[in-house]
Amino acid sequence: MSERWDGAPPDVDLDRVWTGVAAEVWRREPGPLERAAGRLLRSPGLARALLTTPSLLAPWLIASVVVFAAGGIATLSTHEPLVWLIAPGAAAAGIAYAYGPGIDPAWELLCSMAVSDRMVLLVRAAAVFMLNALLGLAASAASGTVAAVTFGWLLPMTAVCALALAVATVARSANTGAAAGMAVWLITVLSAQAASRRFTAAVTSAALILPYLVIAACCAAIVIYATRIPRGTS
Amino acid sequence: MNIELEELTRRFGRNEAVAGVNLRAGPGVFGLLGPNGAGKTTLLRMMATVVSPSSGRMRLFGRDPVGYAQRKEIRRRLGYLPQNLCYYPAFTVLEFIEYFALLKEMPSSRVPAAVAAAVERVDLGGKARAKLRTLSGGMLRRVGIAQAIVNDPGLLLLDEPTAGLDPEQRVQFRALLRDLGQRASVVVSTHLVEDVGAACTEVALMNQGKIIFRGTPDELTARGIRNGTGDAPLERGYTAVLAEARA
Repeated sequence: MSERWDGAPPDVDLDRVWTGVAAEVWRREPGPLERAAGRLLRSPGLARALLTTPSLLAPWLIASVVVFAAGGIATLSTHEPLVWLIAPGAAAAGIAYAYGPGIDPAWELLCSMAVSDRMVLLVRAAAVFMLNALLGLAASAASGTVAAVTFGWLLPMTAVCALALAVATVARSANTGAAAGMAVWLITVLSAQAASRRFTAAVTSAALILPYLVIAACCAAIVIYATRIPRGTS
Repeated sequence: MNIELEELTRRFGRNEAVAGVNLRAGPGVFGLLGPNGAGKTTLLRMMATVVSPSSGRMRLFGRDPVGYAQRKEIRRRLGYLPQNLCYYPAFTVLEFIEYFALLKEMPSSRVPAAVAAAVERVDLGGKARAKLRTLSGGMLRRVGIAQAIVNDPGLLLLDEPTAGLDPEQRVQFRALLRDLGQRASVVVSTHLVEDVGAACTEVALMNQGKIIFRGTPDELTARGIRNGTGDAPLERGYTAVLAEARA
């Protein structure tokens, strides 16, 4: 490459020509999803970061679909709305595994990028949340439990996801975040069932709406605080 | 000055990893030497805006990284190779470098040419479409270097960049460093004193979070003429300065 071709004019930089040719040959055209995300987020870098979310990659997507499908089938056969109880736990795990050290191989490098790591975290968490909400809705619809109460699981799902994200962010461990989210949700479901003797009390009890809102708000504040750049360095 | 550090300190609990470092540097290749735990990596991480200082003042390109807009501007002009960079195994060499070019907010139209130039500069043209999981450790290190230089950074921070490179690649890499140092401030943290001697215009030696020597490689070599130990002149300077600091 660095050897000069005898026939080249003396003022032609062959290295530059080669790099230009290589750039054209190696150019990658973003897919339609990446282009749409880039337009929506107004950042090609953020769009690319979104599409590399570990819990949005094919294996995780397939696992999520299987879990929600199993919930839908169980709902159909038992006539108990199990999808409502599955959705918060599944979404919490997905959100905990969206971003962070140990999950993103090049996490430290990502933290030094112009596209802020907080934005990457928020965009990925929002995308995982929406995907799980859509899967939950689809499973509810397929299992014939779309009623007014169907959206009851969205609020607990928000609270459990926020909790998992906050724990994962503070502990810098996706495993800890996912475990905390699912454990707290399991405890909530069992406690509510024990208190009211209704299997779905955790998603239908009006008394739990305020605690869910408070948990979601507090955990969101913790995430925002934990991802700040501390002051007082100048 | 691209780098201005004043009394920069970073504590982790009771441990003071960096203890009041003062440093000013413009374009050139700056070598950071020191034993394990001297604070080199923490200092680089602070300059990479990954870790915030506990106290002190830091300005990069004349900007304070505490403010969001200024930090973003610094990061656009920054190249960073962490000590333990892991890779996305399913990415190709091109995809990995392009990913970080986009995250550095390079204009999309400039990205393909910049990626191709970076790949060629680290001599990975033949492996451009290879998946990262198929590459050797030395090749992966070169991919890491390529992502660091893809945006033609004004400040390049390299933590143990030659780890895993064979002797021929290290010679090529030193030439690349010298070339980059013509325009940019290049800070190289390394254990390999021969890299410093061959590529750096200036060197600092750290011990217990402090800079205990700063000068040219020749000046460091001169410190080891009487009482240094080691096989190479620069190594003797290194051990002599460390022994003086410990005494």
